[in-house]
Amino acid sequence: MREFQSLKFLSVFKGIFTRFGVDYAVMEKILEIKLTMDERRVPTIFGENGKKKKEGNQFLKSLWIYGLYSLILIPFLLLGENYMYQLSLVFGMILFILMTSMISDFSVVLLDIRDKNIIQTKPVNKQTIAAAKIVHIMIYMTFVAGAFTTIPFLVGLFRHGIVFSLIFLIELVLTILLVVVLTSLLYLFILRFFDGEKLKDIINYVQILLSVGVVVGYQVLIRSFEFVDLNMTYAFSWWHFLIPPLWYGAPFEVLLNGNTSSHFIAFTVLAFMVPVIAIYGYAKLMPSFERNLEKLLSDTKTRKKPRNGLDEMGAKLLCRSNEERVFYRFAASMMKKEREFKLKVFPVLGMSLFFPFLFIFTYSVDGGLEEISGGNMFMFIYFCNVIIPSVVFMLKFSEGYKGSWLFRAAPIEQASSAYSGTLKAFFVKMYLPVFLFLSIIFIWIFSARILPDLAAVLLGGLLQILITYKIVNEGEFPFSTSFEFAQESGGAKMFLLTLITGAFVGAHFLANAFDYGIYVYLVVLLAAIGIGWRMVFPKTKAVAAF
Amino acid sequence: MTRENDKVLSIQNLTMNYGGKKVLNGINLEVASGEIIGYIGPNGAGKSTTVKIMLGLIDDYQGKVVIFGQDIASGDPSYKKRIGYVPENAEAYDNLTAMEYLVFTGELYGMGRDAAQAKAERLLGQFDLQDVGHSRLSSFSKGMKQKVLIIASLLHDPDLLFWDEPLSGLDANSMMVIQEILAQLAAQGKTIFYSSHIMDLVEKISNRIVLLVKGEVVADATFEELQGMSEEGSLSGIFNQLTGFTEHRNKAKDFVSIVQGDEEYA
Repeated sequence: MREFQSLKFLSVFKGIFTRFGVDYAVMEKILEIKLTMDERRVPTIFGENGKKKKEGNQFLKSLWIYGLYSLILIPFLLLGENYMYQLSLVFGMILFILMTSMISDFSVVLLDIRDKNIIQTKPVNKQTIAAAKIVHIMIYMTFVAGAFTTIPFLVGLFRHGIVFSLIFLIELVLTILLVVVLTSLLYLFILRFFDGEKLKDIINYVQILLSVGVVVGYQVLIRSFEFVDLNMTYAFSWWHFLIPPLWYGAPFEVLLNGNTSSHFIAFTVLAFMVPVIAIYGYAKLMPSFERNLEKLLSDTKTRKKPRNGLDEMGAKLLCRSNEERVFYRFAASMMKKEREFKLKVFPVLGMSLFFPFLFIFTYSVDGGLEEISGGNMFMFIYFCNVIIPSVVFMLKFSEGYKGSWLFRAAPIEQASSAYSGTLKAFFVKMYLPVFLFLSIIFIWIFSARILPDLAAVLLGGLLQILITYKIVNEGEFPFSTSFEFAQESGGAKMFLLTLITGAFVGAHFLANAFDYGIYVYLVVLLAAIGIGWRMVFPKTKAVAAF
Repeated sequence: MTRENDKVLSIQNLTMNYGGKKVLNGINLEVASGEIIGYIGPNGAGKSTTVKIMLGLIDDYQGKVVIFGQDIASGDPSYKKRIGYVPENAEAYDNLTAMEYLVFTGELYGMGRDAAQAKAERLLGQFDLQDVGHSRLSSFSKGMKQKVLIIASLLHDPDLLFWDEPLSGLDANSMMVIQEILAQLAAQGKTIFYSSHIMDLVEKISNRIVLLVKGEVVADATFEELQGMSEEGSLSGIFNQLTGFTEHRNKAKDFVSIVQGDEEYA
């Protein structure tokens, strides 16, 4: 075990912790252990596969991407002195990044029940356990925030001076507190009312909703500014009190522009008071949080046998062999039941529903629906193909990946039918609903003339599923890898695969340039799928592939 | 070795409701030092709940629990310093090495780092695990991991042990070693609270057996006393009788006939 710089820094605040009844030395030990474990997130099996064994904290190594993202903040800092507009946007993005990272990466830490059995059975008081938990998360959130704001901070320092950067720094600390504590309080609230599996489901849906909500909220934020002659002016209305980023834009306006309108003052007070009140409430409520965590383990309800009529029909109609049918049904229920999978995938699906409309309405300033319906905007439906790579990639992960020994132990004749069944289930259960929903609304907007185009999108989607599978998943069984690998191995490959959608869009536009070109394109796609499917899933005893 | 205060643990009228259901239904228990208590009962009888209450993991119970003369409801965790715990399902931080895990546990119990390290090394050696002391627990077999957890529960020389299915995954030889360790610890005045489903073992190890059924203590006696009360010779026989389960032969017969009658389901 080595020494951690972050813990050395933390010891500066020793006094504060002690005052809250925390045994600092014990907390330090717990944190040391937690940080050591985080460095080892990659299991040893990885090394045995002949691949290069990676040591060190994978999370910290992925931080550079936040540095890259942060570059989009710079224009907003350079623009001018319209602080309310610029910094609300900047803090909107900071809150967005922190919130998503908190929900997707650190909810696990917060809801960890191993701590209970391992640490709470030792002579350690509850305040110490609670503090260790929250500090553990804070350390990482500080890293995320640091990676995301270092460059913008320096830009702000040079452009707007020292007072500006001081406010910026204080607000940053407040936002981290706000995000961590509010998320904890939200979980606390849910834990009070539900138990067992139901509770896990609800937490899952809240996480999904939150991650979609954060994106939608960010869009709403942008729209709360009116664009007038390229100068953005801010007009106050009461519901702006509900948008936290605006709270954090206001202090700059008050302190640097000397604007003392009552609503700016009110925002500033909120920016400061809400995190402080929240952390006080957290300290008060944490013991009951730990107590209610126990509920995650118990399940008192018995459930009825569910009916899966649609899945049965899908399996009968779409699959050719019995083995494929088995995997179709298996994948369908995994996609429906596995929470970690839903957490990673549903937000993406939600966005593919949301973005086409967002773009249509953003780019149609005047002319209204009439103008839109004659145009090419229906091509935004390709957003539902953009998500294919990331979802198909997710199909190889599962929380219960250890159960996959079953695939090797069972006498499966044709291993490739495992994935062909799974991909079909993905197509029917996840892609098709999104596509159909968008299509129906698009036909209503753009009239039935776009039917051939929609067909091309659908076939393009199918082909993309096949290509993605071939590149990222081939040679493994579905749901057979730990989610721990999901973060690191995505990256650049995923990005390139998303670009494939761009190629399809290009081809589609090209086809539309000629009369009847779209029909030729449809035939080409059909042929490609037919041939491709046979090549990827050959009808042989493909045991050797494993 | 004699002690001033012989009473280690006292449970008075312990009741626990969970979601409108009574999990524990008025348990009374007095335990003196040096006892090895086999705490047995069918699945869902409330054994784990009792242990969790005593360890302070659950605090919304009714009744009184006093350990080492301290009412545990006071919220002061210091009584746990003299307790050792082996959790069921071998829960541990798997990404740590055996040594790291042991030293961490020792430190949580208030031991110094060097003292914990030295002791852990020697104890690992006794189980022939010194070579894997710096490998991660995730690479351990179930039995090896169980040994580490047993060491972790003894490192700080506690006076009261709670062991939940401690022998799962151990081979016959290791089981005998553990059995002997328990006997010798008890002779030193340590108290052992032991729960298991392997009746033969409980029969051999325990000097007092507490049987819990549906949240109530239905038997609390030595094995010999239990034998006197029942016509069954073995503890598992007594267990079946006291829990009112006599159907095992018929159940097995039905089960096997379903396994073999697969032509009806094909």
